[in-house]
Amino acid sequence: MPNWTQIVRKKLGVLEICSPEFTEELAAHLEDRYEALRCEGLSAEVALQHTIGQIEGRCRVWLVIRFLQEELMSGFITKIALPGLLTSAAAFVFYWALALDHIQPRVIWLLGGQLPLWWWCLLPICGALGALLSQRKGRSRLQGMAASLLPSAILCSLVLLIFVVGFTMSGFVNHYQLVSARLESLGIVPPGFGLVPAAFSLLGAGIAEVSTKTSRLA
Amino acid sequence: MALVNAQIKRGSAELAVLTLLAEHALHGYEIAKQIEEQTGGVLRFDMASLYPMLHRLERKSWVNAEWQTLPNGRRRRCYRLTASGRKQIGPLRAQWRAFFQALQSVTGFQNA
Repeated sequence: MPNWTQIVRKKLGVLEICSPEFTEELAAHLEDRYEALRCEGLSAEVALQHTIGQIEGRCRVWLVIRFLQEELMSGFITKIALPGLLTSAAAFVFYWALALDHIQPRVIWLLGGQLPLWWWCLLPICGALGALLSQRKGRSRLQGMAASLLPSAILCSLVLLIFVVGFTMSGFVNHYQLVSARLESLGIVPPGFGLVPAAFSLLGAGIAEVSTKTSRLA
Repeated sequence: MALVNAQIKRGSAELAVLTLLAEHALHGYEIAKQIEEQTGGVLRFDMASLYPMLHRLERKSWVNAEWQTLPNGRRRRCYRLTASGRKQIGPLRAQWRAFFQALQSVTGFQNA
């Protein structure tokens, strides 16, 4: 008898972000399906192929999308949007506070661009805040992550919008230097204001998750 | 047998599952199997449509789910209808009845 839990974890491990129970439940379903096929007279190999087919290829993609969609859309306002917006507000307040003249952030230089190092260091607090606020509304792990990632998502969208507008305007004035400067900063700004902040926010959400688990166990 | 359009199937799925669970508690595979058998294969749930829906019903508190150990030692997550879920069946049936009556009056499909 195949180890269905292991097979599901291998193919649909991403669903454990939502809940470890999902994989166990799906494994149970596949186990029943496999046995039913065997009872119908199929050989072990064919039954295995038929059963695994339910979590492979297009089925697998569809399964993950449906689970994540359902998970994210249930209680979206209370569990993701509101905690996420509060988290975003905190992140932007931090950013503006650090950008004031007297407490200007110490930036690091990379590839000729400025990256807000101190702001990044404060983002785990925002990420944890988002996750904890979401948790108060009974969120799942995925929803907590989504709430803590909202500031980065908003910022990333704004930055991309600014770039699109900037490129369009550069195109109108046909200024080579302006375009090349924008292209150069395209390599700096989205990671600096999108990807890295997302990673730092996730770190905070992770710390919140671990501390919550620890306090529950205690 | 003609397959039913996905949208209609999705809309009717909740009613089918709730009605089935009104009789007795079942786990996911049993739900899928019984619905397929009872509808002659017209309604068929794959995992991607069944489990997200069951979890949605659980979040709405229309069903309760708990892990049970079967006589063969295997663990299965069994779904049971709650009082709140039972209350939903009547209005859902009424909605579908009204829908079918409206469709009948337009298409006359009962004579087809």
